[in-house]
Amino acid sequence: MEVKFNLNGLDVIYHIQPGEYLLDSLRNNGVKSVKKGCNASACGACTVLVNGKPTLSCSVLTASIEGKKVMTVESIQEEAGELSEYFAKEGADQCGYCSAALALVVHALKEENPHPTREEIDDYLVGNLCRCTGLQSQGNAVEKYLGGKK
Amino acid sequence: MKVNEYVRAASLEEAYSLKKASLKNKVLGGGLWLKKGNGEVDKLIDLSRLGLDQIKEEKEYVSVGAMVTQREFETSPIIKKIGGGVLSEAVHQIMGPAFRNCATIGGSVYGKYGFSDVITALLGFKVDLVFYPEAVVSLDEYVKKPGFADGILTEIRIYKSGAKSFFKKVKMTALDYPILNVCVTKAKEYKVVVGSRPLVAYVCEGAMKYLNEGGKDIEKAVELAMQELKIGDSMSAKSEYRSHLARVYLKRGLEEVK
Amino acid sequence: MKKNFRVVNNITPSVDGKGLMQGRSYYTDDLADQNSLIVKLLRSPHAFARIKSIDVSEAEKVPGVACILTKDNVPHVSFTRAGQGYPEPSPHDKFIFDEYARYVGDEVAAVAAVSEEVALQAMKKIKVDYEVLEPVLDFEQAFENKSVIHPEDGIHEMFPIGFDPKKNVAASYEMEVGNVEEELKKCEYVVEDTFYSQAQAHAMIEPHTCNARLDEHNRLVIYSTTQTPFHMRRIMSKTIGLPVEKIRVVKPRVGGGFGGKQAFHGEMFCALVTLRTKKPSKCVFTREEVFGSTYTRHPMRITLRVGANKDGVIQAIDCRALSDTGAYGEHALTVFMIVGSKVLPLYNKAKAVKFGGQVVYTNHVSAGAYRGYGAIQGNYAVESIMDELAEKIGMDPIKFREINSMKEKETSPIFEIMGEGTEGTAMIMESCKLPYCIKRGRELIEWDKKWPRKEVGPHKVRAVGCAIAMQGSGIPFLDMGSCTIKLNDGGSYMVTVGATDIGQGSDTMISQIVAEELGTTVDKVIIYSSDTDLTPYDCGAYASSTTYVSGNAAWNAAQKMRDRLVREAAEYMNVKVGSVEFDGKIFTSGEKSLSLEDLATNRLYNQDTRQIAVTESFHGHVSPPPFMAAFGEFEFDTETFEYKMIKYVTVTDCGTTINPMLAKGQVEGGIAQGYGMASSEEVIYNDKGKLLTTNFDVYHIPTRHEIGELVTEFADSYEPTGPFGAKSVGEIGIDTPPAVLCNAVYNAFGVRVHHLPITPEAIFKAVKEKK
Repeated sequence: MEVKFNLNGLDVIYHIQPGEYLLDSLRNNGVKSVKKGCNASACGACTVLVNGKPTLSCSVLTASIEGKKVMTVESIQEEAGELSEYFAKEGADQCGYCSAALALVVHALKEENPHPTREEIDDYLVGNLCRCTGLQSQGNAVEKYLGGKK
Repeated sequence: MKVNEYVRAASLEEAYSLKKASLKNKVLGGGLWLKKGNGEVDKLIDLSRLGLDQIKEEKEYVSVGAMVTQREFETSPIIKKIGGGVLSEAVHQIMGPAFRNCATIGGSVYGKYGFSDVITALLGFKVDLVFYPEAVVSLDEYVKKPGFADGILTEIRIYKSGAKSFFKKVKMTALDYPILNVCVTKAKEYKVVVGSRPLVAYVCEGAMKYLNEGGKDIEKAVELAMQELKIGDSMSAKSEYRSHLARVYLKRGLEEVK
Repeated sequence: MKKNFRVVNNITPSVDGKGLMQGRSYYTDDLADQNSLIVKLLRSPHAFARIKSIDVSEAEKVPGVACILTKDNVPHVSFTRAGQGYPEPSPHDKFIFDEYARYVGDEVAAVAAVSEEVALQAMKKIKVDYEVLEPVLDFEQAFENKSVIHPEDGIHEMFPIGFDPKKNVAASYEMEVGNVEEELKKCEYVVEDTFYSQAQAHAMIEPHTCNARLDEHNRLVIYSTTQTPFHMRRIMSKTIGLPVEKIRVVKPRVGGGFGGKQAFHGEMFCALVTLRTKKPSKCVFTREEVFGSTYTRHPMRITLRVGANKDGVIQAIDCRALSDTGAYGEHALTVFMIVGSKVLPLYNKAKAVKFGGQVVYTNHVSAGAYRGYGAIQGNYAVESIMDELAEKIGMDPIKFREINSMKEKETSPIFEIMGEGTEGTAMIMESCKLPYCIKRGRELIEWDKKWPRKEVGPHKVRAVGCAIAMQGSGIPFLDMGSCTIKLNDGGSYMVTVGATDIGQGSDTMISQIVAEELGTTVDKVIIYSSDTDLTPYDCGAYASSTTYVSGNAAWNAAQKMRDRLVREAAEYMNVKVGSVEFDGKIFTSGEKSLSLEDLATNRLYNQDTRQIAVTESFHGHVSPPPFMAAFGEFEFDTETFEYKMIKYVTVTDCGTTINPMLAKGQVEGGIAQGYGMASSEEVIYNDKGKLLTTNFDVYHIPTRHEIGELVTEFADSYEPTGPFGAKSVGEIGIDTPPAVLCNAVYNAFGVRVHHLPITPEAIFKAVKEKK
């Protein structure tokens, strides 16, 4: 079947199977920044924004995206670049496999709640697993990024 | 999971007639649990265009559309007013926001999953489920009765309540299913609920009867609840520990709301 | 020794951190050919079975199926999937496909098709006739069990490792220094206890992935999420009979390894599919395959007897261990030996030490390399029993450790006796700031205020625990790394290394070492790593070797490059070599000067044109251990035994931290993983031997909410044999949490939990049993 949606500002048409998930559709169409970690809505590596909201692309049927706006990290390049500098300063970047999804979640958090407490940050990021860093440093980096202090 | 056809239903009538037409046709909620199934779905019925994503405050109850996401539910100021915000708090503890942006309240309730935090918390209140075409069933009754409803769940009516409330989810990590969950509320009457036993939530009517008839001994109420509760083993805990948790949190819950 | 560094020991962002956060697609599956055949594996539903026959005729008829591989049509050469030095200390007990399936999930056939759907459809049509055999599911019953897991011919050890497959023994080992029984008899205090640790999963977020294609020379090109590309090329060559020069292994960005990618997964299958079909192919493991069909940590039972004299000085340690290697023996011996060799030397006052036992086969998922291998299992047991002994003596557990632990300029006889699979190497601790680490950590956690426990509210108690740890830095005389540096026009450097960046940041660390030595900045160093065609050799990312071994190789190369540049500049300026100074940008000799940029331009385009390039290697003669002292504070519910980490303090001596932030990341990431093993990572098999914990919804790795405040400090230390004074830091972080938590639980409730993970339910049971 056909599904029309807006991907990073461009209207696109994907030809899909009715049971296809958004993660697979995106990767099959060359959007490789979206990662498959668990394929079971449990790790967050596949997170994209659908109508601005963090969404697990491994568990959302592409057919249900009709008419919606999908954002991947390609649409927040500058922001992701800036956030990475905070990650570097805190020792929060390692393998990078979860980084693009984290950048999107942080973007959504900023839109939804520009001045979150640390607890709110951790609550908002909790679905994004990281096995490398020990996690605290990522929270520190996001806290400083959103607080605007390096 | 294999899907042969994806149908964006234009009306509840269409959705219902498709659902009735074949057991292989399924209604799509958030899609999260559907994915875990391996079966083949002939027609997958999408309800997202039917306006079932509204939370409305009516005179006596709050109307929650079945397609309202867990995240919309959790952050709704209307929901936060119920029972001191216990429903928001319970749903907030489910996985991460990206998960809750996908999962729907209707899907959580309809599926009667044993691990449901939504059902345990809602059972602390008077809740009616509205099915298309015409049934209205109380949540207590729906959960108790075996099998699933024949109609399409369209709305969850939560009767307004200023009950003092207690909810506890015991879990290994933030992304865990509950090992056990407990909801205790007290408005005019008590409601005492234990879920993830690992079976679906159970309303402890014996304990409630004792308390609602003026019983004051919390230990006794806990004992009555433990007598009626069936608690079993699962991968996450053995029944012995689960029973111990139930005792502790029922007691704490009752003390908190008394 | 120490000097003011400009680049190393300074905060430097990861060279790839920004690009990866921006979504640059350089992981293995991002680079697969879009037209790849999809390779899916048919896996055994039985824990132990003999395959009587496989009929693929119906499956082959499914339109879109390109190739099906089974035991009947692949080379039958035994090998080990472990990426280790050659000859490997692991038994050659694996075939690409075999007559036997030895665990639920073992590979039986591979199907390559135009899509996943077609591959799965075809897979259902493969008819396998199994003779189901009685599995061995309890590792304590494996030795001499009537079920022999490896009865087949053609398997062997490469050198003596105690391999005895007819008795289900993959490896065994015994050693003794002094006379333990005699010393124990003389001891005032003796404690004995037994500890069990579980088959922890690596749980890296990127699944194991590989793809294959033929290049324009018809050479086989494998992209793989591997930690050991050069070992992969060697093992593949020998196993499928394709000459080394026909194989190229490329490691792109890797989304975490932790030892779990130090072996073969889908690579043999993709290689054979592509060689046979001439088409590109790819194999991406599902998360269920990652959990159920790659590797786990070796579960172990460790029994210790430790004796001390009346002053509390340890006299003798007896350590008996039993390790479960699962279906295959990857890293069986080396993991086992580390239980002794990287834990027991901590307590070097002991006059007698005995260590030994067996590594047995079972019909479980194969165990393999996993960060801190052997050390974390040993640390849990040793650091728990040390608290028991301290209590028996009536001594503060920290004071007990201060008296008994390793100090600078000391040694342990164990170093010489035990290596990794072979004899070891004697060494003196040239850098050991463990006493400082203990002292500083004690202050940071406020031990004296908090030990052993404090009530903090109704049914809430806080308790503390401590442990110390050591690791190594590569394997002496075995691990080798190398580095090539060439000068580009403009005065930048191209650095190629075999060292394998698996997310730990070795590309960044090596860039810093080169930039420091050559007086330049990291942005003038372009690094490319781990491609068997384009980079020089490196053993790979394991054994805490990268900073020390590959870092030293890079340092050697940079020093050689500096010398070479000075010679080139002297020749150009027509002055004596000894008179030339180089500050990284400008060469000066008296009045004369020359910029690096001009030299580079001149040598590439003008007179005496030549490529200025150097290659250097390094292998260690010692393996200087990093040391750590760790202290945890936890809050427990005294009724439900639920708990949370409040604070975890570590002070580490890893020599100079080349990149302080990456070093911190290594320590903290290790703690989180170790804490998962200690607290929540339960591994559950059903009674038929099927692993049930196969995704993140049921296998619980710590999230942001489980990790409390991490306080991570480093001791001021300089290791004279390390690059700019550095030692390793990749593994040591993981070692302490099981013992720290175990000791804290004891301090909270007076019960010792003898198996991991220490869940609230486990504490509940222990408390109940005590009553």
